[in-house]
Amino acid sequence: MTDAILHADTREIVIDDVFPHAAETIWKTLTTGALMARWLNMTPHGFEPVPGNSFTYQTSPAGDWDGTIQCQVLEVVPGKLLAYSWKGGHEDNVGYGSRLDTIVTFTLEPAEGGTRLRVVHSGFVLPRNETAYRNMSGGWSQVVGRIGVVAGEQG
Amino acid sequence: MIHAAPIDAVMRALADPTRRAVFEQVARGGEVNVADLTRVSGVTQGAVSQHLKSLKLAGLVAERPQGRNVFYRARPEGLAPLFDWLSHYDAFWRDRFANLRDLLKEIDP
Repeated sequence: MTDAILHADTREIVIDDVFPHAAETIWKTLTTGALMARWLNMTPHGFEPVPGNSFTYQTSPAGDWDGTIQCQVLEVVPGKLLAYSWKGGHEDNVGYGSRLDTIVTFTLEPAEGGTRLRVVHSGFVLPRNETAYRNMSGGWSQVVGRIGVVAGEQG
Repeated sequence: MIHAAPIDAVMRALADPTRRAVFEQVARGGEVNVADLTRVSGVTQGAVSQHLKSLKLAGLVAERPQGRNVFYRARPEGLAPLFDWLSHYDAFWRDRFANLRDLLKEIDP
């Protein structure tokens, strides 16, 4: 099963799993427009697995955001690594559709029974600390302390 | 009056260390008034009031007037804008991995 870990310190979503297929096959699903559209449920427009390439995904609009995710390929190591920026949202939106400036990195490595695919979606402005979020009597200082660090970084 | 503030407003409100300290005091205190906060904050009552006003505008505290006093309490839900995108994408990638598994089974049986 998919194993999701939320790294509170680094503010990343990390999901990885072993698929019983060769790396080359999985690589195709990460880098071929028609196949990407089938599992991501969004068609990439203008994608080429070449560093510097700009492309978009179209998702549901929210408020002043038209739903376009702007991406740029940052790194390509065929069969092993693909990273692209993932930007969207609007600063006036709250929750879904709020401003987003993130990076998605896919890595493939051999694993017992197939190939391990890991996606790291990084750059979220805050940790999702569910415990602190739900139990505000306890974790406030910790959560708010991190907000301060992040907010400070943003100037 | 409950209103949702954009994520930037929430972050701006908490970027100031003194204001953040005031917010933490409110959160810790359950319900507090300006005098209580001034005693523990080390800044003037006027400054505390200003910080509370900013926190209120950012949706992070709520006030309740009682006689000549105004009591403040934290609004945990005010922090929600900071968490929503992350939970959205967590669910997104889990779901997409399931799709990918199906697609791979189909193209590479």
